[in-house]
Amino acid sequence: MPSGYDGFKYGADREIYSAAKVKALESLLIEKGVITGNTVNKILSYFETEMGPFNGAKLVARAWVDPAFKERLIADCNAACAEMDFPEGMSGAEGEHMRIVENTPEVHNIIVCTLCSCYPWPTLGLPPYWFKDPTFRARVVREPRVVLKEFGVELDDTVEVRVWDSSAQIRWWVLPMRPAGTEGMSEAQLASLLTPEAMMGVATVTVNR
Amino acid sequence: MFTKFEHFAATSLMDTPGNAPPRKNGHLSFERDWEKTAFAVAIALSKQGHYEWEEFRQMLIATIHEWEATHALDDPEWDYYQCWMAALEKLAIAVGVISKAELEAQIEPLLTCKGNSPDV
Repeated sequence: MPSGYDGFKYGADREIYSAAKVKALESLLIEKGVITGNTVNKILSYFETEMGPFNGAKLVARAWVDPAFKERLIADCNAACAEMDFPEGMSGAEGEHMRIVENTPEVHNIIVCTLCSCYPWPTLGLPPYWFKDPTFRARVVREPRVVLKEFGVELDDTVEVRVWDSSAQIRWWVLPMRPAGTEGMSEAQLASLLTPEAMMGVATVTVNR
Repeated sequence: MFTKFEHFAATSLMDTPGNAPPRKNGHLSFERDWEKTAFAVAIALSKQGHYEWEEFRQMLIATIHEWEATHALDDPEWDYYQCWMAALEKLAIAVGVISKAELEAQIEPLLTCKGNSPDV
């Protein structure tokens, strides 16, 4: 264990001490010229503006209002991404192929990655902790209806459930059904209804969130 | 795909469930401002070559194991970013980008001048 480590602190003083220590560390590094006063904000802004589910939400909302766009999105997700005004790298143009599958009254789709950690991060952001959980990965393949019920998605017996296993070649995600009662909504309003879970197929889109 | 270091760093932490930072709705989830700073500083130092990201990852894993070995699983004092900060401090000192004495000298006035206000 390297020196300088003073153990885990507890209690009321801990918050004050932690905040002071982080502030001290940052200002020391700035004083030494290792980082600048803007470094922290620049890194955080990457996570706020580029790694989140907002791109997926925009694509789905556009598909809901524009049937021709929906067709293009399903036929070639990466090309449809390129039509949008996304930050560089978001279209996944180089090597990382995304495919979207559409939920319908007859078919419900769920995504999983049984082998590794493939996740369509350009559209959905960072994966939830359970996505990598081996139990989830095994059960969603074996008993998807039971897993869906645990997530609160009750499907009619007539609905077919399809499980899409992502790989390094193709990263799947889900185009959820547009909920009733959203007829007059703008694209932005529709996008705000979407969650990563809905675009993974483990939730449905509801209006009263 | 064009991958930024920030993306690589964050996703590499997803490989071990206990090692991954808290997330909500596809975003990193921070409860306190200092967590954001600690998160970004750890990435910045690696991005600039002061240590490999894997070294930080291993230090974080070791720090979390150390916590787990000495606390009950349901200990309410568990705090991911306390472990993150401890790992960052250990590594920054170990690679020599700062010294323990320098850091302490920098903390001291912050603690005394701000009194007991939690809004440091």
